[in-house]
Amino acid sequence: MIGFRLSAERPPDPRRINDVVVQRLDHVYEVDPELMRDHIQQHDFPAWDTRRIVDSRWEHLAWMHAHWADSVVSGEELISTEE
Amino acid sequence: MTSTLVTDPVIDELVAICGPDNVFADRSSRVNRARVPAPFPVHRWAEHVPDVVVLPTTAEQVSEVVKLANRHRIPVVPRAGGTGLTDGAVPLRHGIVVDVKLMNKILEIDLDDRTVTVQPGINMLKLNEELQQYGVIYPDDPASYPCSLVGGRIGTSGWSLIGGRYGHTRDLVISFQIVLPTGELIWVGDGGGRKVRKSSTGYQLKHLFMGHQGTLGIVTEAVLELVPRPEAEFAAFFSYPDYETAWRSTGALAKSGLATLAGVVLFDEWKLDYLRRDDEAYIPQPDDVRCVVATAMYGTTDEVRPGAKRLMRIGKDTGGAYLGDEISQGDWASRHDRYATPLHGRLRDGQVVPMSWHCEDASINWSQLPQVRREWHEIVARLGDNFRIFDDWGMFAYTNAAFKPWGDYLTEIDVGIWEQELDDAAWDAWVTAKRDIAAVAIAHGGSISACHGACRAGEVDLVPEELGGGWDVMKKVKRVLDPLNIMNPGKYLLDEAYE
Ligand SMILES: Cc1cc2nc3c(=O)[nH]c(=O)nc-3n(C[C@H](O)[C@H](O)[C@H](O)COP(=O)(O)OP(=O)(O)OC[C@H]3O[C@@H](n4cnc5c(N)ncnc54)[C@H](O)[C@@H]3O)c2cc1C
Repeated sequence: MIGFRLSAERPPDPRRINDVVVQRLDHVYEVDPELMRDHIQQHDFPAWDTRRIVDSRWEHLAWMHAHWADSVVSGEELISTEE
Repeated sequence: MTSTLVTDPVIDELVAICGPDNVFADRSSRVNRARVPAPFPVHRWAEHVPDVVVLPTTAEQVSEVVKLANRHRIPVVPRAGGTGLTDGAVPLRHGIVVDVKLMNKILEIDLDDRTVTVQPGINMLKLNEELQQYGVIYPDDPASYPCSLVGGRIGTSGWSLIGGRYGHTRDLVISFQIVLPTGELIWVGDGGGRKVRKSSTGYQLKHLFMGHQGTLGIVTEAVLELVPRPEAEFAAFFSYPDYETAWRSTGALAKSGLATLAGVVLFDEWKLDYLRRDDEAYIPQPDDVRCVVATAMYGTTDEVRPGAKRLMRIGKDTGGAYLGDEISQGDWASRHDRYATPLHGRLRDGQVVPMSWHCEDASINWSQLPQVRREWHEIVARLGDNFRIFDDWGMFAYTNAAFKPWGDYLTEIDVGIWEQELDDAAWDAWVTAKRDIAAVAIAHGGSISACHGACRAGEVDLVPEELGGGWDVMKKVKRVLDPLNIMNPGKYLLDEAYE
């Protein structure tokens, strides 16, 4: 059995999105590390932990919708039925 | 630094009232109740530490604590969630902090007369989790929904994101029990009936005992409104190429007559610049997304669906582009988190630094929004020119009237502050900027605060100017109800009542 390997969890190299933002994982934007040079200490973040945070965030948003109402009406669906 | 009034015998008396487990004189219990999340002169933390903290569980205990405070002339400060942004729960003169968090029970759910009776330490999210099984909801929805408590909502007379449909705290709290500054327990509401929403009997005392920031007593029980849990939610975010067009669209929404419209939010260009650098929803947006108007509707499906169709048409007809379901639904569901999460800001050279969020809020009529926006950004720009620790995070304007989406807007400018770097000079500049921001609100016929209150250094200086003759009445009321200035002394310049 192969156990947890940190090397496999190293996020891919960043891709530049704009002057201040980079991206390593789909839908996850990060502040350009160059801008966190002088006043913020950085540390390595395994990919699974980033994914865990993103997944929990989606869960939280779904929970908040269900907390307030039984259903959510979709604007995209309304537009498509209008045309 | 503490006061010398809270002696060991006083602590013994407090223990006799509240019980040994509910009185705390240790350092961490006290230091943690010295501040609120508004920017705080951290270099002067010690000036605001209370002498002792009590966590009572009954109204009678609160009443006894206040009577004791009168006997010994010790200041008393009520504290609920501690999320207030005008320093209301900060003990300026030390003394006793009455933390109401253990008074968090639901006492009665009345599905016939549609009320829920609670203690003041309950949080709205927790309350609504319990109410869900009955098909009802208590719709007080501040951005601090997960962390502020009913007592603090009454203490500040708070504002709700969906108040355009359901009303704000003052509309949703039907009546409440309050311990007066001299220790007597009374009920106030519209008239005498605890579950009556409208009465013409006597003075309307409910409003007097709301939004006083703990200067007129401590709420110990409240009867709240129950509304049917919405079947449907609809959120639509539209982008606009410039502020003028976006602002005009909010005027069109105000005139729409859509009864399920619960709130409209206008994001200005500075807000978009800020979000575009740090918020995953806005980073990928094209450059022509300069301003955003967000809308939300609640109600039965039969009302919301056709209303939403109409709303989508208004968005389009006013020049808006629908930003899609993911942003609209996701951003609306994030409405409670956006503020607390930005733990960083930028220096002018672009470097990231730890910053906390602060927001100055005012009530501004719709017609005045463009001009106020210009003047407020100029004030914050000057601040940033002189001190690198301030960062302009842009403005939101939210519908502010109860049960209708027109008239005036809760207008806020968000400022990032690198608190650890505050010193006396930066703090003084900040307080001056707050005063200037408040002056602009008054000059444009607005009010200094729509939801937080105005008792903090800077804006508080202008409260007499805003209230005019009402300020003298306020001082007289304070002096009559609190002859020894026990309740939250130092707030709202009310020491003047005793001169
Ligand atoms: C992230 C964030 C978002 C926010 N968004 C909103 C928003 O959308 N709308 C809004 O209105 N506010 C908002 N606020 C401000 C704050 O949450 C509100 O002012 C809230 O009403 C304060 O409630 P609290 O329980 O934290 O009270 P506290 O901060 O503990 O107290 C507030 C005031 O009420 C007094 N008080 C507390 N308990 C009692 C009591 N039992 N009886 C009498 N007086 C009492 C205190 O002395 C103090 O003066 C926000 C704050 C944060 C941090």
